[in-house]
Amino acid sequence: MKRAPARGLLSTIVGIVLLALMLFPVYWMVNVSLQPAGDALRTGWFPLHPDLSGYVTALRDQGHSLVTSLVVALGSTVVSLGLAAPAAYALARFRLRGGPVVVFGILVTQTVPGIVVADALYGAYTDVGLLNSYLGLVLADSTAGVPFAVLLLRAAMRGIPREIIEAAHVDGAGKLRVLWSVVLPVSRNALVTAGLFTFLFAWSDFLFALTLNTTDAVRPVTVGIYQYIGSHTNRWNAVMATSVLASVPAAALLVAAQRYVSAGATSGAVR
Amino acid sequence: MLSAAGRPTRPISALLGTLALVLAATGCGGAAGSGSAAGKVTSITALDYYTDASEHAQWSERLTACGRTAGVTVEHRSVPGASLVPQVLRQASSRTLPDLLMLDNPDLQRIAQTGALTPLDRYGIDSRGFAPGIVSAGSYQGRLYGLAPTVSTVALFYNKDMLAEAGVAVPRTWDELKTAAAGLTRPGRYGMAVDANATFEGAWQFLPFLWSNGGDERRLDTPQAAQALQLWVDLVKSGSMSKSVLNWTQADVHDQFAAGKAAMMVNGPWRTAALNRTPDLHWGVAPLPVRRPGQTLVTPLGGEVWTVPRNSSEDRRAKAARVLACLNDPTTMLATAKQYFTVPSRSAVASRYARQVPSMAAFVESVERSRTRTGRLGVRWPQAATGIYTAVQAALTGERTPKEALGDAQRTATDS
Amino acid sequence: MRSGPRPTPDRPAAPRSDGERTDGDRGAARAHRRERIARWLFLLPATAYLLLFFALPLVKNIVMSFQQYSATTFYTGEAPFTGLRNYAKVLSSDLFWQALLTTVLFTVGSVCGQFVLGLALALFFRRRFPLGDVLRSLLLLPWLLPLVVSGTTWKWMLDTDTGVVNRALRDLHLLSSGVPWLTGTSSALVSVILVNIWVGVPFNTAILYGGLQDIPAHLYEAAKLDGAGPTASFRYVTWPLLRPVAGVVLVLGVVYTVKVLDIILVVTGGGPADATQTLSTLSYELSFQRFEFGRGAATGNVLVVLSLAFALVYLRAGRRALNV
Repeated sequence: MKRAPARGLLSTIVGIVLLALMLFPVYWMVNVSLQPAGDALRTGWFPLHPDLSGYVTALRDQGHSLVTSLVVALGSTVVSLGLAAPAAYALARFRLRGGPVVVFGILVTQTVPGIVVADALYGAYTDVGLLNSYLGLVLADSTAGVPFAVLLLRAAMRGIPREIIEAAHVDGAGKLRVLWSVVLPVSRNALVTAGLFTFLFAWSDFLFALTLNTTDAVRPVTVGIYQYIGSHTNRWNAVMATSVLASVPAAALLVAAQRYVSAGATSGAVR
Repeated sequence: MLSAAGRPTRPISALLGTLALVLAATGCGGAAGSGSAAGKVTSITALDYYTDASEHAQWSERLTACGRTAGVTVEHRSVPGASLVPQVLRQASSRTLPDLLMLDNPDLQRIAQTGALTPLDRYGIDSRGFAPGIVSAGSYQGRLYGLAPTVSTVALFYNKDMLAEAGVAVPRTWDELKTAAAGLTRPGRYGMAVDANATFEGAWQFLPFLWSNGGDERRLDTPQAAQALQLWVDLVKSGSMSKSVLNWTQADVHDQFAAGKAAMMVNGPWRTAALNRTPDLHWGVAPLPVRRPGQTLVTPLGGEVWTVPRNSSEDRRAKAARVLACLNDPTTMLATAKQYFTVPSRSAVASRYARQVPSMAAFVESVERSRTRTGRLGVRWPQAATGIYTAVQAALTGERTPKEALGDAQRTATDS
Repeated sequence: MRSGPRPTPDRPAAPRSDGERTDGDRGAARAHRRERIARWLFLLPATAYLLLFFALPLVKNIVMSFQQYSATTFYTGEAPFTGLRNYAKVLSSDLFWQALLTTVLFTVGSVCGQFVLGLALALFFRRRFPLGDVLRSLLLLPWLLPLVVSGTTWKWMLDTDTGVVNRALRDLHLLSSGVPWLTGTSSALVSVILVNIWVGVPFNTAILYGGLQDIPAHLYEAAKLDGAGPTASFRYVTWPLLRPVAGVVLVLGVVYTVKVLDIILVVTGGGPADATQTLSTLSYELSFQRFEFGRGAATGNVLVVLSLAFALVYLRAGRRALNV
């Protein structure tokens, strides 16, 4: 049987070509980021003489933004999971009369355009002084994470065998205790997936960062890149270097936590 | 429905307010607490849009020096140009305006209209000796609100080597410009570059062509305006100018020129320092061409005015006004002008400057003839500017003929 | 996701009223109420958050759309009610209708492109071959990158004069001059659609691939025995069984595409000549660039209505999505 492996190999080759085509922009981003400054207007096909000056500039100009993004994304992950886990548990395991309404509401949130939320939040934030603050941005960014995490965790928690939970109740554990020491550990995979995606949602956020900040006090890297482009074309290596740095979490998580990413992507994912 | 719906903002505000307090208590909030004890003001805040690292440092130095004469330290902050006005409006709403504020001169009137600025005569500052153009841009309803240390305008920059190699003379009329641009175009290089993007900057670059041909921002749908727009359309259509001008900022135009990808460009003298730093670039500057010989070149007046916003402390305002006066005194003004290759806004200083820096003489002259953007329309200028850049975009993409595009622009401009 | 165990909500644990009636019904009722409150407390924080950050903004946006905001508003705090004036202004402007059309074209183009390419890739990866799983998961990268990063990279790649796309086309002698990707009005729209397709294909592939995996292999074997070729087995086996999943993907695609803002703002900024201005970007521009929050809100509300029109379909499909 020689045909099958050959066909398999052919498929692999086609697959690699397809992937190369799809990932070409990512390659190009890395390539441009390694060009010397000012030369970006005539970029070679390969970074034959890799030059790290783009990264030096990027870290100097945008290093702080990267830290801001990290803080905001971590904050949003904590907020999202903190709000979503108990709610998902309640929706999955308690017979609440209003439960279906809440789920319905969460689904409706997915149709609300971000710009509408931003419009209204700008006014509200102005009144209470949350513009240009970490907390304001974390809360706004969690609008993507909370509904996603609730739906994902609810689906996972519905799958927990009833016996486990009942056993804990018989042992006299309260609801909060059961959630914390039984349900959450059992739902570990879903928690990781939800956390991972809420992190990426907040890390990638652009709209709220753009509209709810009027100074550079809390400037995530997405806005940093946006301000970069259109200012000077001869710094494209730095722009692309910043883009590469901003892509690191996504790429790292894809490689390190592939299983969870795939699970998130196929869970009727919210984006 | 309306009154009922209006109420829910309060719970949200209350809740968010609590959060804000928590935040402030934990020191995460960016509260602008500038140290001044009840009586004596020791420091004031200043806001501008000089975000470029070296420019920011230079202005910090200048503000510090002027602050010293007023006995205060100056906390200097810069935000990107496009977000300055939104930022000011936000600060106005929360009564947290800086003590000293820089504005691009065509923005002054609309900010003054909101009541966010204080008139300068209150602090004994007057505009005697300043060129009339910048004084009019700094005034609203007859009172002076802002003064610019230096002013500038746009001109034609050209690459001497490329012109020599192509055997092309510096163009003085539109026809010469078209011929020269075509003759200078090579594979990978365009003869001409402008900023035609959909921002106020794009409108600013189009004005010299509009005005010099007798066009008027109050009435955009005229044959004169259409001729000016047709010139830009022709340059793009003939391939002498990249279609990408639709997306370029003035900084991009500069970069194209500096990289040798454009032989001529419209830009301002503040690029001089950077152009001089570019290796192997031999460049010259000339007045922008006019349609037919004998027409007078009219360019827009550029320059940033400094203002004293309305905030609670009389003492702080007084200190800020002293710093403002220092920025605009003849010595500081002259130094600023030399640093950025701009033109001092006091006429006497400007003529001294023209003698000291002969290469700037041409600019000194053209700035004197420059027209302010708000001169005719005042607070209604932004609408006209929006109409202008929209028309430029529509015409250059070929969506509309120049005549149609300007007809639309006139509607945009008059639509309140 | 494979269909897991069906949901089995716990039976209420506390009020086991069987043998405890001695205290009387009042005590039981109180315990019951406390129990109910305790349960709602789990849901309260998230519900409150969702109300604050979704419901209230929606309401506030409706109110704002009847108010007149201007630059002065933010100083004086005054935004007088003006009835339907904002809507009249918005609906009477050519730009609004153009943006509406662009929104529809952008959404339909993106969703169709993403679906077709996503399905093709999903079908391709269904064959088992060495490295298949690794390649398939690496494919997710474009979907995970921040949209600003993707947009910036594409903007640079699509530059008419210096972009790599035009250069490749020239080097391959496919054309002599450059395609005005971002500087022509119709090509700019095509460009943002292409970029958005690129972003969305991985997501479509992932879900459709999951759907394909759920189709029992014996059905294909049976079809094969009946002499069905690849086309016939796709038509009579794959497609009918994939339809529910396909429906979910398409509706989710529409709901998320209709509100896309980042990509357009970064790649074209709505230009040239407003050719890529959608309702989302228009609302952004009115509110945050021109400070006409009233008109921005009115435009945003039209977008909400448009989204909600799809929402009915979405909710039907969404319920399925949750149980896939």
